[in-house]
Amino acid sequence: MTAIADELSTTFAALADPTRRAILARLAAGEATVGQLAEPFALTQQAISKHIKVLERAGLVARSRAAQARPCRIEPAGLDEVAEWVTGQRQTWHERYDRLDRYLGTL
Amino acid sequence: MEFTYRRTHRASPGLLFDCLTQPEHLARFWGPDGTTTSSIVVDLRAGGAFETTMVSPGGQYTMRAVYLEVDRPARLAWSEPDTGMVTTITFTDLGDGLTEVVTHQASVPDAFGSPEARSGFETSLRRFDEYVAQMT
Repeated sequence: MTAIADELSTTFAALADPTRRAILARLAAGEATVGQLAEPFALTQQAISKHIKVLERAGLVARSRAAQARPCRIEPAGLDEVAEWVTGQRQTWHERYDRLDRYLGTL
Repeated sequence: MEFTYRRTHRASPGLLFDCLTQPEHLARFWGPDGTTTSSIVVDLRAGGAFETTMVSPGGQYTMRAVYLEVDRPARLAWSEPDTGMVTTITFTDLGDGLTEVVTHQASVPDAFGSPEARSGFETSLRRFDEYVAQMT
């Protein structure tokens, strides 16, 4: 497995969980502390912290070290990687099926 | 996390299914552009191998996959153990000689969603391992 494929699978694994996707959706609206993130969920702050750690390892979320509450913010570069993968796949299959159409024309 | 791509082709589901599963057809379009497909292995059954080696001026790349579902002409699925990606292709007859082909790719964590999917995937991986072991 290449390093890039490995990074991408860590990112996908992080995004596979609906709670973590909801956390990212909340952070897309602006930074928030773990306490603020826990409010809409029936989860403890400890459980939210675990999800945040997974998102941090995947490069999708960063935490400020400046303030004591250490607010979380979204890390757009992590999501860019996912978007690039999707774009690449779309291009690959688009071209593949174009070639298939041309080939079908010769049958 | 997933990706879905839809296309409509002027051909029957059966012919499209064959194009995507028979080496002599695949060699003519699998690609990508600027590459030649030097070797194609198709063992068309659930647990069977699907491997394509593409050669370009920059080198060669082999995609190693194992079929999860082979249901001509409706549905085809394979997984790539190297990348954790599962690709599912469905073929729907739209009438008038048209077929909609929907290509869906998802990472393993999504594919592991249901216990059935998980056990199917693990069985396929085990068969794939056995297949590789017997080759070496």
